[in-house]
Amino acid sequence: MKIGVLSFAHHHAEAYIRNLHELSGVELAGVADEDAERGQRFADQYAARYYPSYIDLVEAKPDGVIICTENSKHRPLVEMAAARGVNILCEKPLATTLEDARAMLDACQRAGVLLMTAFPMRFSAPLLSVKSRLDAGDFGKVHCFNATNQGELPTRHRQWFVDPELAGGGAIMDHTVHLVDIMRWYLGSEVSEVYAQSNHIFHAREVLVETGALEMLSFQNGVFATIDASWCRPPYWPTWGGLTIEMVTERGAVIVDAFKQNLTVYSHQWQRPLWYYWGSDANQAMLAEFIAAIREQRQPMVTGMDGYRAVEATVAAYQSAQTGQPVRIG
Amino acid sequence: MRVGIVGAGFMGTTHLAGWAETNAQVVGLVAETVEEARPLAAQSGVKIYPDLAALLPDVDVVDICTPTHLHYEMVLQAAAAGKQIICEKPLSRTVEHGQAMLAACSAAGVRLLVAHVVRFFPEYAQAQKLVAAGQIGRPGVLRLARGSYRPKKPVGNWFLDERKSGGILMDLMVHDYDYARWIAGDVDSVFARKIRLEENASVDYALVILRHRDGALSHIAGAWAYPPPTFRTRFEIAGDAGLIEFDSDDTAPIKNLILKSAGADAPDVALPSSPTSENPYTTQIKEFYNAITEDRPARITAGDGLAAVQIALAALESAETGRAVRLDPLAEVQP
Repeated sequence: MKIGVLSFAHHHAEAYIRNLHELSGVELAGVADEDAERGQRFADQYAARYYPSYIDLVEAKPDGVIICTENSKHRPLVEMAAARGVNILCEKPLATTLEDARAMLDACQRAGVLLMTAFPMRFSAPLLSVKSRLDAGDFGKVHCFNATNQGELPTRHRQWFVDPELAGGGAIMDHTVHLVDIMRWYLGSEVSEVYAQSNHIFHAREVLVETGALEMLSFQNGVFATIDASWCRPPYWPTWGGLTIEMVTERGAVIVDAFKQNLTVYSHQWQRPLWYYWGSDANQAMLAEFIAAIREQRQPMVTGMDGYRAVEATVAAYQSAQTGQPVRIG
Repeated sequence: MRVGIVGAGFMGTTHLAGWAETNAQVVGLVAETVEEARPLAAQSGVKIYPDLAALLPDVDVVDICTPTHLHYEMVLQAAAAGKQIICEKPLSRTVEHGQAMLAACSAAGVRLLVAHVVRFFPEYAQAQKLVAAGQIGRPGVLRLARGSYRPKKPVGNWFLDERKSGGILMDLMVHDYDYARWIAGDVDSVFARKIRLEENASVDYALVILRHRDGALSHIAGAWAYPPPTFRTRFEIAGDAGLIEFDSDDTAPIKNLILKSAGADAPDVALPSSPTSENPYTTQIKEFYNAITEDRPARITAGDGLAAVQIALAALESAETGRAVRLDPLAEVQP
């Protein structure tokens, strides 16, 4: 099984390559990047074959590709790979507009290739544990969620995360989709309405996009939920950020902190405490699922449609932040 | 200074203990029925009065610890008699009542001190000082959470009657509306959702998003959903130059892993407790005592109490209509 990596624009590409090495029977087909210097550098670092163009790599017929271009540049590569019959794992958010997301779903459906959205939190061990207890009926009926996906300003990884054209927005675009996907997965119900408020107080002089955001979602089954998508963590916080969910049910509440499994490390070197994550690597399990879906010729656990639904809620959040009133979906 | 306490429930009892730490004398106690006042009167040696009218001639200060919907008439009555007033939170059940209470106290020249005790909890007070001193820059997003179990009452549980208490969106969460305003200023829009009572839910939980006039956002969560005796408070104030985090669980200095004796029960109304040399309720009563005797401002004004009520009512309206509610600026009142 050969997998290619298209672009290092998203820093997750590096983690995915390390994950691929851990999977038996899986080989890195090569890497391609429109930024030749960057592509060559990572190709050298991971001893991978470098393809100067995305098409060349796709035409070498790998079994699948992982698309890690900037958010707004997923669509052309998805369409190109689909047209050549190659299965796709696409970085989140699937797209920055519903039009792009729809076109990507259609292209993959027409071509009969798998389209998986990279939502690693579906494979988070703590979140899976809660999901299985929820499905077993341990918690009873869900009333609501109070959730956060807060982070530092992501420019430490890549500058384009704060470029409105390439990223499609700021904190809302970056941090809405994971939680929307988890809630849809937990509930088996779709988002029916989104209310959002955003502001531009954190890093106001460094970036133009929104850096603070609170959202309130309603689901078709009556469940409501808030998402805090803010880039409110200072760069000297002990880690990059986190994802938490308080799930309130008829039997009380369950509070999950998906990245709580840390060592607190104090070192002369840093002069501040750092959290070293020792929990299981959700990306690893996500890539294993992508490979398994290709091998077994079945839909992956997280589909392109899941990515589309999350984009739909995100787009609605931006509309609501403009109007100050909730926006209906569907 | 002679003080009369109206209401002999949980708050009346707590305030009485606070007054004991001042030079004021608590001379009278009024409850809904004389029977209800008897245990507290017996324990404290304070005289029981049949009603507020009978109490008024004997006191300088009236401390109102009754259910929310009763505050309005009692404050008007006490103001008309020229008494200084302390009133439990929320100030009133409606904005109109609150405005009338402020106007009456202003006209009578008496103080109206609203017992938003959270401002006196050392963790909240210290965080406010840090923000005011600019230590974390301009506040951008606040997260405030307060959670316990449904309050119980031996008879007539007014907490759960929305017409009387406003329910969780008002009775519990008004603490955090007030704190959010203290930190980030006036609020101009409110959006809220809550578990609907008509669903016969076993738990209460509500979520509120506030937009402050200067652009900061507040996320406020209120729970009457946790197993007794849980009482957990959390806050996070993120600014453009820093972050303050607090969690009552993480900062509890004592973890109690003692086996429960049979029949041990949680109190009717959960109160936060982290041992400090002075109970925050006492700190509050002392500050109010000094404010009255020395004619000084307290850290909360009657206008603050009214503004918190306005937010609570907007939250109730939003939860009902599903729309965001814009707040009109409140008329300046100087009580």
